[in-house]
Amino acid sequence: MPFVVRTVSHSAEGREIVRSSRIEADRLTIGRDPECDIHLTDLAVALRHATVERRGPRLAVACERGLTVELNGRKVASGETDVATGADILLASHALRFMPTPPAAADVALNVERITDGAVKLDKAGERLFSLAPVMPGKRGMAWLLFLVVLAVCIGWPIKAYYDRQHRTETFARFQADEIWSSGHLSRAHAALQHDCSACHVKPFESVRDNACIACHRDVHGHADPFRLARARPDLTAWGRLQLRVKQAFDLPPGRCIDCHTEHQGQQAMAPTPQHFCSDCHADLTAKLPDTPIGNAGDFGKAHPDFRPAVITGWAGDRPILQRLPIGAHPREQSGLKFPHALHLSGVGGVAQMARTLGMGAALECADCHTLNPDGVRFRPVEMERNCAMCHDLSFDRVGGTLRTLRHGDPAQVIADLRALYGGRTLPRPAILSPFARRLPGTAAGERGETRYFRFAGAPGADAAIRAVFSPGGACYDCHTVRAPPSGSLAYRIAPVAFPARYIQHGWFDHRSHASQSCAGCHAASRSNAAADLLLPDLRTCRTCHGGERTRKPVASTCAMCHDYHRDEGAPAMIIRQRIGAERRQSVARLEGGG
Amino acid sequence: MATRGIPRTTLGEDARHEGFLRHKGFRWLKVAIALCLVCLLAYALIDQQPRPSGGTAYGYTLGTIATLLILWLTMLGVRKRAMTRGRWSLKGWTSAHVYLGLSLIVVATLHTGFDFGWNVHTLAYALMLLVILSGLWGVVAYATLPEALSNSRSEMTRPQMIDAVVKLDRQLQTAAQPLADADTAVVLRALADDPFRAGLFRRLSASPRGCRTDGALAGLRRRLALATGEEAEALESVVALLERKSAALARIRQYLRLRALLEVWLYVHVPLTFALIAALAAHILSVFFYW
Repeated sequence: MPFVVRTVSHSAEGREIVRSSRIEADRLTIGRDPECDIHLTDLAVALRHATVERRGPRLAVACERGLTVELNGRKVASGETDVATGADILLASHALRFMPTPPAAADVALNVERITDGAVKLDKAGERLFSLAPVMPGKRGMAWLLFLVVLAVCIGWPIKAYYDRQHRTETFARFQADEIWSSGHLSRAHAALQHDCSACHVKPFESVRDNACIACHRDVHGHADPFRLARARPDLTAWGRLQLRVKQAFDLPPGRCIDCHTEHQGQQAMAPTPQHFCSDCHADLTAKLPDTPIGNAGDFGKAHPDFRPAVITGWAGDRPILQRLPIGAHPREQSGLKFPHALHLSGVGGVAQMARTLGMGAALECADCHTLNPDGVRFRPVEMERNCAMCHDLSFDRVGGTLRTLRHGDPAQVIADLRALYGGRTLPRPAILSPFARRLPGTAAGERGETRYFRFAGAPGADAAIRAVFSPGGACYDCHTVRAPPSGSLAYRIAPVAFPARYIQHGWFDHRSHASQSCAGCHAASRSNAAADLLLPDLRTCRTCHGGERTRKPVASTCAMCHDYHRDEGAPAMIIRQRIGAERRQSVARLEGGG
Repeated sequence: MATRGIPRTTLGEDARHEGFLRHKGFRWLKVAIALCLVCLLAYALIDQQPRPSGGTAYGYTLGTIATLLILWLTMLGVRKRAMTRGRWSLKGWTSAHVYLGLSLIVVATLHTGFDFGWNVHTLAYALMLLVILSGLWGVVAYATLPEALSNSRSEMTRPQMIDAVVKLDRQLQTAAQPLADADTAVVLRALADDPFRAGLFRRLSASPRGCRTDGALAGLRRRLALATGEEAEALESVVALLERKSAALARIRQYLRLRALLEVWLYVHVPLTFALIAALAAHILSVFFYW
């Protein structure tokens, strides 16, 4: 039963060309092998790919092992179909159509047609193929995607964090999205506010106001009366006025805390305030505020008023009168004490001899009497009992092995003790130690005491001894101003003694910071013969080391090194920050006694 | 023929090609250098308190200049779609784009005051640098690659390059007909080779790795060594065709590599420009939001 094979192809113009052949067999072989009944020139077709056999009214399709064909739309390795319905077989690029044939008919018609162009896929019209565009995501799409992602992360997210925080009151210990807006770390002093931008940036689009600072810094006082501050401001140049206009246009009012206290400058102590913040007003203050008691001050090395220490210039009864006087006027201090520093520091003479005897070295030194406070800033007040009494002993009697001493600071008790010693008796025997003069160690001094005794032995009695103690050469008189008693009385009194605990009241001086210097470098004690000499250094002395903000001197000194804008007492904030690393601590030294 | 005697010097200035880099005797290069010098001088002379940063008067000024520059530079994307001549020609515009864009490195860096951190401000700066660097890549690519690109075509047009492969494929189809099934499978895979399907990185490397034609060539050469008779003849012709196809593909790959190098920067430059504008918006908004 033959097959009629019609091979269909197309000319270049698209015209159909049909070649017919007849195959006298019941079984058709299909493959790439030229010996096959149906020879398909497609590499995807195996040499012997499949067979089609007519079995009566049925057509049986069988492929070689491992191969398939598409029979009526289904991929099969073998299959059957009716001759009456015909069959469509797809084999790689070829379609074989068995025409529907009545089962009784002898011939089965078969169309063979190449329907695709095989494996040749390249399209030579593809100029665009050479460009990157077909294999890359679109530029426009990527651009918009990135644009939206960045907008969402860098704007949407932080704004959401800001508004979320509005309804909460706790402190914020964890990262908040709006921190990605921060231009830099907060200073160490404000580190606790790191996660809470709105602590300072209270309202969106409003510049940081002083209220935000004052909310925490309640006890910081202003620098001066705001009206006087405003008057003291320097005249603005045209450029300055323009700057002010621009700042005001951008909601940046002048004179805010953050003008000086700049933040977001990194995890460090706040930067020291530059000198010009002070000198802008203070360099020419007297012109702006004629009634100011403060002298003009610019650069420390060039323009600074004379120091004006608080000095006791007199007494109102028992109260000292403190006055601030320029050091250049050589004020005399009325402390009520007699004390020649030169004598005590001398390397020769009685004091030096005493120092050697007491094992204190070749001569007395400053530190033998002056002890630094624990904070290292100022010195402990000199005390009779602790400092003077090392040499200036007040013992007047010995009972067994115990020395009785006159009570320092209580003249009435001294008088009573002396009266008790004499107690209506004549002197039984010479006291070993003279009550009337300082005890000087060594035999020579002892002999001198004996002499004193015999001097009074001529007129023995309590009255004479009391008079002697309060008179020149007596134990009290040498150091103190003795107030004579009314005539007929022996109620001697001692003028009170006082020293200011702080001479320079509006400037900071820290002795420990100057430990590398000798005392005598600043205090001319070895040349002072009177306690009234003010032994404070003057500007010139300071300027041997300290210059202004920009100087060739060893220590560049801004105003903030000695003065604080907000505080009069204690160390300036700048010094504190330098020393303790920005961690605020109370460091106020109060004016003790004297004042 | 009449023009043969005309000396070159009598041709007008316009007659010679002047690229966008040397446009008008480097006019925009000079402008850009002047801008940088002014900014540098001001940076050196102006005492920025408490330290240089975007938050000083100088910083805000440079920030404004840089922002306007960035927006204007972005407008090239719009401007380039209208090609014009004259004073504000597209060429002049492109020249200004390149040189002013490069000057942004100086302007924006001085604006930052070298104050960097992990924040949107530095993000905007980093994106800007990436955009500029990708642009710089583009300038270098445009200046150097086109010549190599036309050399790589060895006097062929692009359709011819494809045509060569298509023709070889056809010949392979025919030549491989007598081959055994296992061999035709190898040839079929080689026929399915499409050099244009390579992604960005394959194109940039122009690597023949994974090329089925080369694989088929190696396999069939081994078969050829063992084959005899008619099969050997058929294999020989297929191998010869595959060798030619391999060369044709290599030429296409080399060309694709150069094209990719020439074009890839724009896939960084354009999307990052948009990311930069978004970051810039965040940078400016954040400053005023927390003013």
